[in-house]
Amino acid sequence: MLMVVNPGMALLVGTLGMVAAAGVFWPKKGLLALLSKGRLNTQRVLLEDALKFLFDCEYKNIPCYLNSIAGSLHISADNATRLLDRLRTMGLIHLQEDTFRLTDAGRSYALRIIRVHRIWERYLADETGIGEMDWHGQADFKEHQMTLEDADQLAAQMGNPVFDPHGDPIPSSQGELPAYTGQPLSALEEGAIARIVHIEDEPATIYAQIVALGLYPGMQVYVMDKTEDRIQFAANGEECVLTPFFATNITVKKLPAREPIQKKPDLLSSLKIGESAAVKGISPTCRGQQRRRLMDLGMVPGTIITAAFRSASGDPVAYQLLGTTIAIRKSQADHIFIERSEEKL
Amino acid sequence: MEQQQNNNSENILSLANTLRWDLGVDLHDAVIESIYEDASRIARKTVQSTGEKATYNFERKIDQLVTSRWLGFPIMFLLLALVFWITVAGANVPSGMLASLLLDTVHPALKGFAANIGLPWWLSGVLIDGAYLSMAWVIAVMLPPMAIFFPLFTLLEDLGYLPRVAFNMDSLFRKAGAHGKQALSMSMGFGCNAAGVIATRVIDSPRERLIAIITNNFSLCNGRWPTQILIATIFIGGAVPSYWAGLVSAGAVVGIAVLGIGFSLAVSWGLSRSVLKGEASTFSLELPPYRPPRILQTLYTSLIDRTIFVLWRAIVFAIPAGVVIWLVANIHIGGESLAEHFIDWTNPVALLFGLNGVIILAYIIAIPANEIVIPTILMLTVVSAGMAGVGHGAGVMFELDSISATENILRAGGWTLLTGVNLMLFSLLHNPCSTTIYTIYKETNSVKWTLVSTFLPIVLGLVICFFVTQLWMLLA
Repeated sequence: MLMVVNPGMALLVGTLGMVAAAGVFWPKKGLLALLSKGRLNTQRVLLEDALKFLFDCEYKNIPCYLNSIAGSLHISADNATRLLDRLRTMGLIHLQEDTFRLTDAGRSYALRIIRVHRIWERYLADETGIGEMDWHGQADFKEHQMTLEDADQLAAQMGNPVFDPHGDPIPSSQGELPAYTGQPLSALEEGAIARIVHIEDEPATIYAQIVALGLYPGMQVYVMDKTEDRIQFAANGEECVLTPFFATNITVKKLPAREPIQKKPDLLSSLKIGESAAVKGISPTCRGQQRRRLMDLGMVPGTIITAAFRSASGDPVAYQLLGTTIAIRKSQADHIFIERSEEKL
Repeated sequence: MEQQQNNNSENILSLANTLRWDLGVDLHDAVIESIYEDASRIARKTVQSTGEKATYNFERKIDQLVTSRWLGFPIMFLLLALVFWITVAGANVPSGMLASLLLDTVHPALKGFAANIGLPWWLSGVLIDGAYLSMAWVIAVMLPPMAIFFPLFTLLEDLGYLPRVAFNMDSLFRKAGAHGKQALSMSMGFGCNAAGVIATRVIDSPRERLIAIITNNFSLCNGRWPTQILIATIFIGGAVPSYWAGLVSAGAVVGIAVLGIGFSLAVSWGLSRSVLKGEASTFSLELPPYRPPRILQTLYTSLIDRTIFVLWRAIVFAIPAGVVIWLVANIHIGGESLAEHFIDWTNPVALLFGLNGVIILAYIIAIPANEIVIPTILMLTVVSAGMAGVGHGAGVMFELDSISATENILRAGGWTLLTGVNLMLFSLLHNPCSTTIYTIYKETNSVKWTLVSTFLPIVLGLVICFFVTQLWMLLA
């Protein structure tokens, strides 16, 4: 028997089939991805998000009103009232004057969620290749699913980290957290030197812009100029401009003025073939396995490194260090700081 | 007393935690730095180096030559082509000798012996025509090319040249989201995909290694080249004037191999941007100094570690598959064999993809090795078309010396130029052989990635064959 199929028809059906399959399996936007997202218990998620927000307010000594809660959770004021009533009957919060305060039970609940969130962010940053723009969103999802025991186990595997990749301390399993010491970048005076200790990852649009400027926790900043509507500062020798509103998302710790101002360091990728220099450090934006690998190879401050030869296609470049020849890509060499010395090495 | 001690240790732990916050974010860096500092201080005091400058300069000269902008790639292509040529040319003779020994001498002898001691026909069929023949076939076609290819490849590796290939090829693979060393596992895949999968061990970044494993099957392995050459000669060479036939069919085979490389890069690109996006990724490539190869040791390790290892796995799978191949052609239900039932049942669907039921069945039961696909196809075609006097009976795989005799069987089985083209495509884009699948499982330790590497190429192959067939029919 020979089945006769009109080829035009078959092509049409085949193409439609492909489109349908794409619709189901497409990452993030496909039917399967949406279904798995929809399974989350939304009521509990709201409740936990509210506790987290209240804790954050307390931690930073900001008064917390009904409207700010509704705004941060993207729900109406009515829904927020109902949610807070529920939290109160559960004994997790109480009203003090006209602001909401966490009870001890509520605080420890919130700390548990925050611990899972920050441990997961640390995990994403160190052990996976997921980009920094996605950490917060994925951790927001994971914090409601992962048990504290699983998070503890994960933390133990990573050597019990104490900071998340944004520079926030991770609450210990006993629920301890160091006192909040930073101030917003916008509060610095002209001429002040400070170190970035934290970059707020919410809202995502502002975070994206801060990341695009190449700012990261641990960076030294020097405020050059400050007016009503803009703050101009140098970060590792690079000039940046932000509006004061954006600058509130960056938390800094003031440094004594006598600490030397860092110059913008040379990058390993700028080394010409045959040239030598001393490694000065690896940029903190290079993390996790990538960073460990580079350090294991000997890219630590003080190591003398020589650009040996270039691949036939121009990238990667082979470097000579500690008696071996190692090739790395330009995108990695851009993360390694070097210091050329005047005298011949 | 004990209570107090407990309290004390808890206090100490909690104090330690608090202090870690004060240490800041770069504690780990500080530890590694201090280790290196101590090590280099000790080395400065105790280690002296003399007279290594000359060899060093000589090595740099070689490096500058093999990685130079103009000569780097030609040298690489020449060397790799030489390795493949030696393999193909050198394997012909021992393969023929093994085949005449195992298939043409031992097989009839075994059959005669079985008849003498009065073994029932079905038992001698299952054991000798099924299990033995399948095993012998795999040995005859796999052993010689592997025994030549792997030592040659290992020699290049030992010499220090292969890391330079990865170094030169990295920028191409980087654009596909992969690692330069994938060039090596890919080249190894042209010899054998199972060995190629094992070769991905040199890739130390988890994501790039998975990519290299999943896409290794797109390297047209040694077992598929003969299929490609045979079908191209019959159908593609046969469709053009005879003075062009050789060139065009050779071009078609090379085209399929290049298409495989293209798929390998395209799928790498797709994987690194979709399902594997979140896997950790690092890059570093050590370029070891050049060394004179240790020929004997290389021969020994490549024979034991690679050839025998892969061959053994293939044999383990070939024996049960041989039994299955014999059984499907010999168990009859309602007057027809299982094979005929399956072929009749899949034919209408297979025709949509420009294939036929015989091809589908052959690719399922000849899963242990791509080498036995063509013998299985020939046997099944003869069985299902009910040709008398061709081959050696139901369930006995065979191959013919003459290409035109093979062509006659296939054309009698209803094959056209379109079937030939689709078989060539499907031979490139179908599941890896069971040896490779098992090796993938062993290497990844994950059922998920094994399933992905198995079914991704089949789905891709069916989609491509479907569109090629329907467009062909629309235009023809």
